[in-house]
Amino acid sequence: MLIHTVRHDNHHILFLLLFCTLTLLSGCHRGTKQSSCVICHKGIEFASKTHGDCVSCHGGKPLEEGKEKSHQGVFGIANPEYIGRWENGCAPCHKYQFERMKSNLMYTAAGMIRNIQLTWEGENGNSYTSHGEKQFAADGKPFSPKPVAELDNLSGELFRKFCARCHVGAETSGVYAASHASGCAACHFPWNDTTTYEGNDKTMKGKAGHSASHTMTPLPDTQVCARCHNRSGRIAFSYQGLYDGNNGLVPTRGGEAGPVMVSGARNLTHITPDVHFAAGMECIDCHTSRDVMGDGFAYRNMYLQTEIACEDCHGGAVEVPRYREITRENDEALRESRSYKQPVSYGMRMIQTAKGRNYSNVFYKDDTIWLQGKRSSKMHRSKVITGTPEHTIIGHGRLECYACHSRTSVQCYGCHTRYDKGKAGMDFIKKVETPGAFSESEDYRALYPFPLALNQRGRISPVTPGCQTFVTVAEENGSLSKSEYVTKFNGSQQLRFAPFYSHNSGKKALACTECHGNPAFLGFGQNIVEGNSITGTLLCERSDSKPLDGFLTMNNGKVNAYSAITRENSRPLSGLEVKRTLAVNLCLPCHSTARDPIYRKGINHRALDDVLHRRLLSGE
Amino acid sequence: MRWMMFFIVGFFLANSPDATAAHVGLACGSCHRQGGSSSDPASRESRASGCVGCHQGRERIFDHAMGQRAGEKRFVQRSYGRLDSDFWDKNCTSCHLKGCLDCHGERGISKPSVATCQRCHNGYYTGWDYSGRAPREDNMRYQRGVVVNGATFLKMLPDVHYSAGMTCGACHSMDSLTKGKKSSKGCYDCHTPDQNVLEHRIPAHLQRLECYACHSAWAPQEYGTFFLRFRDQRLKEDFDLTPGPSPEYLRSAYLKRQDAPPLGINAAGRVSPIRPMFISYYTDIMRARNSGPENTLLAAEWRAYFPHTVQRGTVTCEGCHDNPTRFLLEPEARRIYDLRKDGMGLESFWLQNGQRVSNGSFMDGARYLRLSSKSPAYTKAYLEKWKNFLNRVENSSRP
Repeated sequence: MLIHTVRHDNHHILFLLLFCTLTLLSGCHRGTKQSSCVICHKGIEFASKTHGDCVSCHGGKPLEEGKEKSHQGVFGIANPEYIGRWENGCAPCHKYQFERMKSNLMYTAAGMIRNIQLTWEGENGNSYTSHGEKQFAADGKPFSPKPVAELDNLSGELFRKFCARCHVGAETSGVYAASHASGCAACHFPWNDTTTYEGNDKTMKGKAGHSASHTMTPLPDTQVCARCHNRSGRIAFSYQGLYDGNNGLVPTRGGEAGPVMVSGARNLTHITPDVHFAAGMECIDCHTSRDVMGDGFAYRNMYLQTEIACEDCHGGAVEVPRYREITRENDEALRESRSYKQPVSYGMRMIQTAKGRNYSNVFYKDDTIWLQGKRSSKMHRSKVITGTPEHTIIGHGRLECYACHSRTSVQCYGCHTRYDKGKAGMDFIKKVETPGAFSESEDYRALYPFPLALNQRGRISPVTPGCQTFVTVAEENGSLSKSEYVTKFNGSQQLRFAPFYSHNSGKKALACTECHGNPAFLGFGQNIVEGNSITGTLLCERSDSKPLDGFLTMNNGKVNAYSAITRENSRPLSGLEVKRTLAVNLCLPCHSTARDPIYRKGINHRALDDVLHRRLLSGE
Repeated sequence: MRWMMFFIVGFFLANSPDATAAHVGLACGSCHRQGGSSSDPASRESRASGCVGCHQGRERIFDHAMGQRAGEKRFVQRSYGRLDSDFWDKNCTSCHLKGCLDCHGERGISKPSVATCQRCHNGYYTGWDYSGRAPREDNMRYQRGVVVNGATFLKMLPDVHYSAGMTCGACHSMDSLTKGKKSSKGCYDCHTPDQNVLEHRIPAHLQRLECYACHSAWAPQEYGTFFLRFRDQRLKEDFDLTPGPSPEYLRSAYLKRQDAPPLGINAAGRVSPIRPMFISYYTDIMRARNSGPENTLLAAEWRAYFPHTVQRGTVTCEGCHDNPTRFLLEPEARRIYDLRKDGMGLESFWLQNGQRVSNGSFMDGARYLRLSSKSPAYTKAYLEKWKNFLNRVENSSRP
């Protein structure tokens, strides 16, 4: 499937034009008259073995001659209302995937919209999605969210003008390394950084706005994910060991800004990649199709849609991974693995996701858990940590694996958002320019150390600013009706951090003394300790006493939280938890490794006063 | 015209807050003795001929660091000057003494305020930090917030002496500057280490450490300073960086931090904060686009120095005793930035290999091993420190 963009009068309405192809070899003969598709598109690649007929995907009139006539009815060009997603081209055959995608967060963006609402004006009792289509909630009940076009406030506008560029229901074009088609083709056709066709169809060769080849990619590689997941949490970058840090544009490459350039004139430098990436794993090797395309139910946030967890393959402190044998012909794993080099088969013991469904590429065999690279077919042995001394430390039961195993966690401090009513901005949902334009500046970025707090599961997790929004609103006459305003969250003006897995994990965990000895990990920001106070040294512009890069202060022994952790049940560590965490330092100089047996009994601080310890400490 | 001149002079003197009185009563000729009414009696060229009649010997300030900038010139000579012999004139001439009024002419003839000193001592240079300011990133995306001395800054915790209202002159007297000394007062001139503070009871701390090795709360650190040369201004288009003094150059950095600075050994042989000054790279954009060299590493130098970010508090014991990175002895397992992949010519900024301290040395690995080994004395003191702290931490929280 070739995908062609046309820029209409106002330079913003983009339609997908789908071209016809390949009939000589695929049996598209109709009587004696030949399809005209391949007369123009000679040499174009097969989409796949099973996608040989151009008309069933592209529509059009292949028996007519000439572009004008033969392109009549092509999905996209003939119908300005058709937005080139999937309804006509893909859905008739792929109804199961089509129905799932309609509830998928990458399409509905319900999570992003809600989070923006929470950050700006708060919720208004309605649910919004990109297009407002009917859905089924996680409990199976139908519900009808409103289209975000109707969210008539700054939240709605921010989403439509900033965030809506990256959603699967709309095409993104003209953005270096971040452009993609809308609908299925966004992930299932190979897009290069300049969206230029480089295949064998000479008519299309070198034209921008198309996938690099007409050969489908049933299994998207990491670059596909990185076209969107490169902002905010930037997980696709961190995973690959890339960092769009200070945007310093150095070191240069061939005299251009460098070393690696991506969308938004940002440069990437290299950091140590995620251990899974280094081993050759790609995003889809962990993330199931239900993670990525949805499972048919509408979730409020991505952490609810995601069905996988580290423990699925590596085990928890006390529970080993679970498997289930394939005994039915309609097992999803059989269907999903059809495109793998080594499809799974009946009788295989498939490892279960955190939601109790089968992985299609992780299985139990010969007392070992194996993960098959979906694209590479490389076999990865998964180490199970259940019962090991390092992972059965009393008190660490509440830790997410990635609290210790994250090497870094991207943190963007100070998001200063300006809304200019006097300027026009493109509304990517309404597809028209409307009055009001957003622009951003920021304060500082960091990778390490990173703060920890309780997430929505009540577990200790890295958190990252999400968001520290300071709002400035410029009226049409240029006067400021709001200046560096801190929006309300949960009823009070406060900045926010969000639980976060950075996707930059390491085999080696953080050392004990890193978290226990540096209060920055507890949320105090970069700091100094004086008496029984912990003082931040990087400050918020709006306050002389509040660190920008933290959410806790300790004054004369009293812990105060001044920023919120978003998501239900999330919160910063309490005074008692801070004290308990720091109290471990009383043991660490001598009991310095996580394997030390004292940590599996629960720490008894009175032991320091017993005869043995007193003798040891007095140096006798 | 003559009346106008009198008026201007009168206004100038009448606005002098402190040193005024002395000058108001003087005859014009006491200062303007040479060169007619329009000459500048306080100029460097005349060696402040109008001032030194009373302020004898003060002209010697022009012979020292602020007047000569010999250290900076030598650095440029051995780094950027190798590739552009006019680099100094293009990029470095905005800060040097032109006369007494540079510092004493802020509002009439006056003693310099902190802000006066910071007209030059800003950005990456010590002095701005005193007021709690750290340089921002160079990309325009980060150029926001309040502007002082033409530059934006990150808001940091100011030095306790600044918060107490002390000016730079309190420690950097005119006498000391005239003599070419950095300061008139050291910490010990005003402070005696309080023996109730546990860290002060550890003899090695007092014998081998500068006070400010522990008491510098933070310091701006620039890792990888880049000067990009644009012979053709149109090539600047893709570099959205803060404009500098020379249209021919843009400056950027690989990474900036402003946490507790790394430590090394200063010229006095004591442990002191050190920072990159500079790990310098040079790219001639046009040549690089014609397959010429780029990102040429010209120097990897650190300097031992005194960040003016003094606080009573310090980092925790682990901040030094369990932190090899702070001494540029970074273990590979803790490496975050992969400089090799970026072709930076160094394995890590936090490894001593290929780098040097221009006015001191790095701490050698064997010495770090000794200080990081948990001796009984260390353990005992460490426990006392944490016990003392934890006993005074409340279990309570405010919702």
